[in-house]
Amino acid sequence: MSIVIKTEGLTFSYSEQEHNILDNLSMEVKKGEILAILGLSGSGKSTLCYCLSGIIPHVYSGKLSGEVRIDGHSTQEMDMTMIATKLGIVFQNPETQLFFPMVESELAFGPENLCIDRDEIKKRIDLTLDLLNIKEKRNEKTGHLSGGQKQLIALASVLTLKPKILIFDEVMSQIDEKGKNAIKDIILQLKKEGKTVIMVSHNLDNIDIADRIMTLKNGRLKRFEESL
Amino acid sequence: MKFDPRTKLIMVFSLSTLAVFVIDIYLLLVVLLISIVVSNYFKENWDFLKRTKKFITLLIGIVLIQSIFSPAGEILLSINNFTILTTGGLAKGIRVILRMLIIIISATIMTGSSPREIIQALIQWKVPYEIAFMVSLSIRFIPILGEEAKDAFTAIQLRGVEIDKLNLTKRIKIYSYMFMPVLSGVIHRAKELSTSLEARAFRAYPDRSSYIKLELARKDYLIMFVSTLFTISILGIYIIMG
Repeated sequence: MSIVIKTEGLTFSYSEQEHNILDNLSMEVKKGEILAILGLSGSGKSTLCYCLSGIIPHVYSGKLSGEVRIDGHSTQEMDMTMIATKLGIVFQNPETQLFFPMVESELAFGPENLCIDRDEIKKRIDLTLDLLNIKEKRNEKTGHLSGGQKQLIALASVLTLKPKILIFDEVMSQIDEKGKNAIKDIILQLKKEGKTVIMVSHNLDNIDIADRIMTLKNGRLKRFEESL
Repeated sequence: MKFDPRTKLIMVFSLSTLAVFVIDIYLLLVVLLISIVVSNYFKENWDFLKRTKKFITLLIGIVLIQSIFSPAGEILLSINNFTILTTGGLAKGIRVILRMLIIIISATIMTGSSPREIIQALIQWKVPYEIAFMVSLSIRFIPILGEEAKDAFTAIQLRGVEIDKLNLTKRIKIYSYMFMPVLSGVIHRAKELSTSLEARAFRAYPDRSSYIKLELARKDYLIMFVSTLFTISILGIYIIMG
């Protein structure tokens, strides 16, 4: 299987910090794989997600060395537009990922930014709602949804960008068991569609569907060995 | 009957312009009445008026302050040679209240349109989409600011501080303690929001496509024309009559 994400000697520290939050980190993620990254709070999981998705260095700055390659291209050489079409990221808090009160407007937002025409946007919204089995939510107000449903809409709004790789940064930390199971089912469905998934969590129960689990400790990744 | 948000924006703009420029109290009352009728026609949500009840004290205060600082006409109320209420001051205060009511009620006309439609209206008026989104997002995040303040307030109360029983000086001191956590919470959320926006390719290109497209119907043109003509006529009469 081909490698879709590769990091080599990735080292990062925020401007105001002395120590490296990521320290000479190297990893590879294969196409169609579900990779889980387990780590305690403050271990640098979100920072790693930011590096993998190009948010570091394009949005947040700091001392960065080494590189992240998506489909063979370095994220430092790609712009956010190019990255957004290849990789989508869903964050922990759905409240700050939903910008509009209506579900349909939310789903159209990403493709509109990429200047995609109206018919294609409609097609993408239909397909995504169908895939996540939430067709009935199309004309609902996002404010009326539960935490789990909001997280699904945040995921749907990323899927309309048609990324090949998806990163889930602690997406299950604020939702109930029912919501967690719904998201896990969708991740397995996405794997069947050929998407590559990287799940990040501090809770082992949330990543039990992964093909491979790695732990992040002291800025480095290692194979999971039953405990943190 | 559904109207284009641009039509509603023109109506709000016309009524607010009249509220600012008209001086005559009777005419302001007519404008207020028109605002109420128009807002009611659009069957908008009037619940917000319940929330404005707490501002009644503020409104009475405005009348009194206007009257104390700009006394004119006959004295209606004075204590030991200190004039509190005059006919001129009362008129000024009433004018301020009427203006505020017209602006608030006319703004409710917009509540029937979704924020996405309002953004689209501004974009089709050639307002840069970054600015249109900025306006919409800032409105969307006002409740979050409220939530942050409420959380900080509850946290202080849970530490055994009974704010209602404190005097004003101590209360102000307590509120100053709330300021930093609220501000840092808001900055944190704004940072999360901007990261999400970037991750979804916001401002990827100088332009963007639109899933929705607004089209003005004949009724929209008619209402826009009538609103503009009405506003210009009233203002014209005012200018001619000095």
